[in-house]
Amino acid sequence: MNVPDDLRYSSDHEWIRAEDGKLRIGITDYAQDALGDVVFVQTPEVGATYEAGDAFGEVESTKSVSEIYAPVGGTIVAVNEDLEVSPEHVNSDPYGSGWIAVLEPADPSALEALLDAQAYSALTEG
Amino acid sequence: MPVAYPSGTISEHTACRNSCAVFDVSHLGTLVVTGASAFELLQGAFTNDLGRIEPGRAQYTHLLDPDTASVVDDIIVWWMTETTFEVIPNASNTGAVNDVLGSLADGLDVSITDTTDSRAMIAIQGPTARKVLGAVSGDASAVGRFRITPFTFQGVECVSAGTGYTGEDGVECAVPASVAPAFWDAVVAAGAVPAGLGARDTLRLEAAFPLHGHELGGGLTTLQAGLGWVVGWDKPAFVGRDALVRQKESGGYKVMVGLSVDGRRPPREGQTVLSGGGVVGSVTSGNFSPTLGHGIALAMVDDTVPVGDTVSIDVRGTEMPASVVALPFYKSKG
Repeated sequence: MNVPDDLRYSSDHEWIRAEDGKLRIGITDYAQDALGDVVFVQTPEVGATYEAGDAFGEVESTKSVSEIYAPVGGTIVAVNEDLEVSPEHVNSDPYGSGWIAVLEPADPSALEALLDAQAYSALTEG
Repeated sequence: MPVAYPSGTISEHTACRNSCAVFDVSHLGTLVVTGASAFELLQGAFTNDLGRIEPGRAQYTHLLDPDTASVVDDIIVWWMTETTFEVIPNASNTGAVNDVLGSLADGLDVSITDTTDSRAMIAIQGPTARKVLGAVSGDASAVGRFRITPFTFQGVECVSAGTGYTGEDGVECAVPASVAPAFWDAVVAAGAVPAGLGARDTLRLEAAFPLHGHELGGGLTTLQAGLGWVVGWDKPAFVGRDALVRQKESGGYKVMVGLSVDGRRPPREGQTVLSGGGVVGSVTSGNFSPTLGHGIALAMVDDTVPVGDTVSIDVRGTEMPASVVALPFYKSKG
């Protein structure tokens, strides 16, 4: 499984990339592989506010439906509208064109509480 | 059988629609029923009329609960020789079918043997299935629709049937375990794409084939799945006949319909179907249709809901509009 060193991770199998104080969020390579072919992504609304751990979207595959959780609290400032017609990007490029949303964190230091690549790798291998 | 091979469910599905896929369906059971009374036993047990076919042919049929007519299993019967049949139930129902046949065989000249573990069942399906299989065995690939024929592979006797569960033309081969891996490899080498349980389910859903445990069984009867043609109504008796006749005469039961939604979001089993502000039924199978590019579902609804109606599906609290459509969702051009 691909677990890039420069990202943070949640125990719910999301990745988080810090970009100029905002956080880009997607699901990990491990998660997309477990889900199988993704056929639909319910993205959150831009402007919506979530607490850490709130469900803010859904990923549906031919096998099952899974919720996506806000890894930290904050406000959604962008969503990946391309997924509406091409949800398969979540499978083919989970850390790139398969991104799901960008969130402006209520507390910028919240990122530090998330898993690093080593801890996330240990989680998925455990 | 895995849910998917590395290429993934959608690419396996597409291979079956456009060229050829191969499925390891060895989980299906095989009960060999043989003896002078074999015909009498099966004709009195199952819904369909074996008098409509003859040796060398296959027939789709049901075994019903005697009291409720709920489908105990849906089955393919291969009529091998005058006095020998192979009964092919779903994996998990093989024991139940064996038990019922065993109890009905009392006093008849017939023996029943479960040979499931001795053979593999390999399904080769798709518009180019016969061409692909022809490279492995011309005899196997030449079998007609709903016919069965013997063939040899590496000197070993096998059986080919012109049946399947994908909505495409195709063949299912019973191959003794000793040569099964070599047979699989030969079919793959000839161009078939290995496909798993995920694609098998999306393919059968597009073709609107009921799946036991979803549209059949658990109280659901042959009539509710729209399969009246599977019943030999002229037969004097089969297990569950009285209960099925009662249901047919009283009416007012839920029936299987097709639901089509505009977007890609898949309806899911168990979701409630609403119409006119009230509950009219529930989804029994649903998914994204790779061929059509939107969500589809089979549902059991009140028989007052006509094709062409707009209903809604309760997706975790959100009402998703759906059209009641004629079945199947997909029909092969072949």
